[in-house]
This record gives sequence, structure tokens and C-alpha cells, in this order.
Amino acid sequence: MELLGRETRERFGLRSRSQVGILLFSLVSVMLLLSSLYSAEASVFKKAREAAIETASPILEFLSGPIGWIEDRLGAFSDYFRVLEQNKALREENEALRQWEEEARSLRAVIAALEELEAYEAPPQAKPINAFVIGEANDAFVHSMIVNAGAKDGVIRGYAAVDERGMVGRIVDVSPNAARILLLNDVQSRIPVFVEGSYVEGILAGRSTARPSIAITKLANGDLIQPGQRVVTSGAGGILPRGLQVGVIAEVNEKEATVALAADYARSRMVRIINYKFPDVEPTPLGAPVPAAAAAEIASGPATPTSAAQAANLPAAPPAAPAPVEEGD
Amino acid sequence: MATRADLIMRIAGGATPALLGFLGVLLLASPIRLFGGALPTPVIPLIIIYFWSLYSPAHLPAASVFFMGILHDLLTGGPIGLWPTVYLVMQQIAISQQAYFLGRELRVVAIWFAVTCLVVSLILWLAMSLLSATLLPPGGLLWQMLVTALCFPIFAMAFGRLHRRVVIEV
Repeated sequence: MELLGRETRERFGLRSRSQVGILLFSLVSVMLLLSSLYSAEASVFKKAREAAIETASPILEFLSGPIGWIEDRLGAFSDYFRVLEQNKALREENEALRQWEEEARSLRAVIAALEELEAYEAPPQAKPINAFVIGEANDAFVHSMIVNAGAKDGVIRGYAAVDERGMVGRIVDVSPNAARILLLNDVQSRIPVFVEGSYVEGILAGRSTARPSIAITKLANGDLIQPGQRVVTSGAGGILPRGLQVGVIAEVNEKEATVALAADYARSRMVRIINYKFPDVEPTPLGAPVPAAAAAEIASGPATPTSAAQAANLPAAPPAAPAPVEEGD
Repeated sequence: MATRADLIMRIAGGATPALLGFLGVLLLASPIRLFGGALPTPVIPLIIIYFWSLYSPAHLPAASVFFMGILHDLLTGGPIGLWPTVYLVMQQIAISQQAYFLGRELRVVAIWFAVTCLVVSLILWLAMSLLSATLLPPGGLLWQMLVTALCFPIFAMAFGRLHRRVVIEV
């Protein structure tokens, strides 16, 4: 076979080409990069990202069909080599699940009894939005997925996405028909979590490796964390619901606890986006104006007779309100 | 009419490298999990850029390379401007090596492609570490670049045939 490009080399020798275009575009790229260093969440960039996933989503959806088919074939092929191992694991899992079944049955009876009680108020039903994974960042440092549900399906930035095993990530970009999930192992991901068994609250931070970690501080009783303890979302901050399965503690050292995620990113093809709204604070008789009135009192210094009388008339007023009354006495 | 069809074919032929590059970027943004995610998706646009910048830079202008990078950043959700920089550096290196590598054997070119990949990985790692204010583990990136470099000979042979038949001879 003749070697490609030999004549060209002989023709132009060592003469270099003019590279004004490359220089110009490199300059633009570096400037863009510097500007994203200073304003990573600039609205222009965000809009551009959302427009890009919206435009690319039909193509990605089209591509993901054959990709899934090929993956299934390859997966089946590699499964042949692991039949024994898988069989053993499945048997063990089955045994464990049977025990859980027993426990679930007894819990169901308890719940039925509770529901019959008059005082029981069912928690608001979350309506998950189902979506298929149509895109994924195959990048060493950026970990995200694109799903085919967007603002039209009710997806809002900040919602949690779970697969059948556990939490996958959080929605960061939403376009009308597609959304991007920031995975838990991305460097930018921060999720409030709770470690069961040691009662530790912490922030799960992505490390760009397969396993994210929880930073341990003395104040947070981090020394109580043990490998094998279950990690769930804590719901702190009110953005995510409490109790979504995240994973189990895999390793603990003095600085941080590494978490083995329950979700399997290599297998999640369908995710559920959890439509969660932080429940309103318990209604007070006055409703919304109460905190404002209390704030006004504090701001005005010593309590005026009218505001004191107002506060006295309200039995269910927040604890901040009675304080000026005592001062007045 | 024949001349018009000819012209369209020539434009299509000329646009082939850029179109392949955009397809490569789309593949990087699709949920391809080779062998259950054990094998990272090769960065095919890097191969495309290196190949055509070496053998026929006129078919792959800097503007196409820039927009490939922008699309990459927008789809993966990374910092905008990172991949255009990486791709343009790749193009610059390839063009500057043109005088030496044109007409050499494939294995020589492939080895230099691997070295160039190392150089651009360093840029990627430095930029991302700066942006996230922490030293990121370079293992995943090096593994992905190794897979890309190992894929180079296969793609280069295919692109060589394509270049002769479609890009030039139409």
C-alpha cells in the first residue's frame, strides 16, 4: 500500500502553513475557558447548554436505540463467563430478600393499622417522572447523563434522579424535552446525607472517581462511621427528600469516609426523577403575616401596647412573639 | 446539471472530516458503555483531527474544530472552552509535525499520536484541576487516552481509504 501523503511532503518540504485560523480560535477558546473559570454558572452558558441538549436530544435518542441493542448482545456475551459467580450471588440475594419479605409483610400490617387511625395523615404522594437515559458524558472528569424528560414533563432543576438501586444524581439543566443529571461522583456534586447506624449527617462530595466521599469533622461525630453502614439522603436544606438510598460506607480513614454507590451507572438505562416539594411549615392561625409582624416588633425595639396585645391574643404564635411582652412587664 | 451535482458531491466530500468529527462528539455524549462500562469510549474526534490535520488540513478548517469542541462542552456539561482548546492544540501540533510525518509508516504516526494525546491530557487535567480547585485523579483520563491511542491505527486505516475515495476523488 502506498503511504498516504508522501507526494505532498515532497512538494512542500519544510515550509510551514499559515495558522492564523487556529491561533484566532485558540484565543477565543482560552477566553471562553477563563470566563467559565470566573462565572461557571453564567446564564448565557446555561442557556447554551440547555439549547444544545434540546437540539441534540432527538439525535441522541435515535442513536441510543442501536447502542442499547449492541450493549445487550455484548452484555449477554460477557455474562456467559460469569454464570457460576452470578448464580451464587443471586442465591444469596434471594435468601436475604426472603427475610426482607417477611419484614415487609409485618410492616405492611402495622401501616394498615396506622392508616385506620383517625389522626393519621398520609404523607404527600410523590409522583416520579420516568425517563430514559439518552446521553452520558464519556469524559474522565465530567460525570453527567442526559435524559429524555424535561420541563414539559414537569422536571425542575434540583430534583433527584434515582434508578432501581439508588440515587443517581440531581437535575442541573432543564430544556423543554430533555434534562441533564449531575451524577453523584462528579467533582461538583454535593448532596446532604445521613449515615444510618452512626447518626451522622454530612455532605457527600464527588471526587471524580467511582466512589464519592463524606468529609469527616470532629463536630459531626465522624469517628462513629463504620464500613457497611447505609447512607441515605438527609433532606437537609429541603431540596431533596429524606431517605433516598445512596449507598453504603466502603472505607473509612481519619479524613473521609468513602461511599460505594448503590446506583450502577454502567447499567442505569431508565431513571425516575422524583418530583419533590418541601412541605410547607405547619400552618399558624395567622398564616404568613406572623413572622413579618414578629420581625417588625423586634425591629421597633420595646413593644408597643398594641403589638403586645396582639401577641397576647394569639395562643399559637411563634416563640419569637411573646418575648417583647415579658420585656414590657 | 451534471456540474451542479458534481459541486454538491465535492462539497459533501470536503465536509466529510468535519461531519465525522461531529458524529464522534455525539458518540462521546451517547450512553455507550463498552463491556459494562469497563472500557471508556475512545475520543474519536481527537483521531479525526490528528488524521486530517496531518494529511489534508484544508479539509478540516480551524472553525470546524472549534465548533466540535464547543458541541462537546455543551453536551457533556463541562466548562465551555475546554475541549475547543484541547482540539485546537491537537490540530496545531499535528500541523506543525506535518513536514516530518507525511508519508511515514502508520506505526510511527500512531506512536506520535499517543505522545500528542499525553500532551493534551496534561492540558485537560491541569484545566479541570484548576476549575475544581483540587488535584483530580488522572487515572481515568490516562486510561481513556490509552484506549484512544490504541484505536488510532484502526481508524487511521479506515480514514485513509475514505480520504482517497470520498474526500479527494469525488
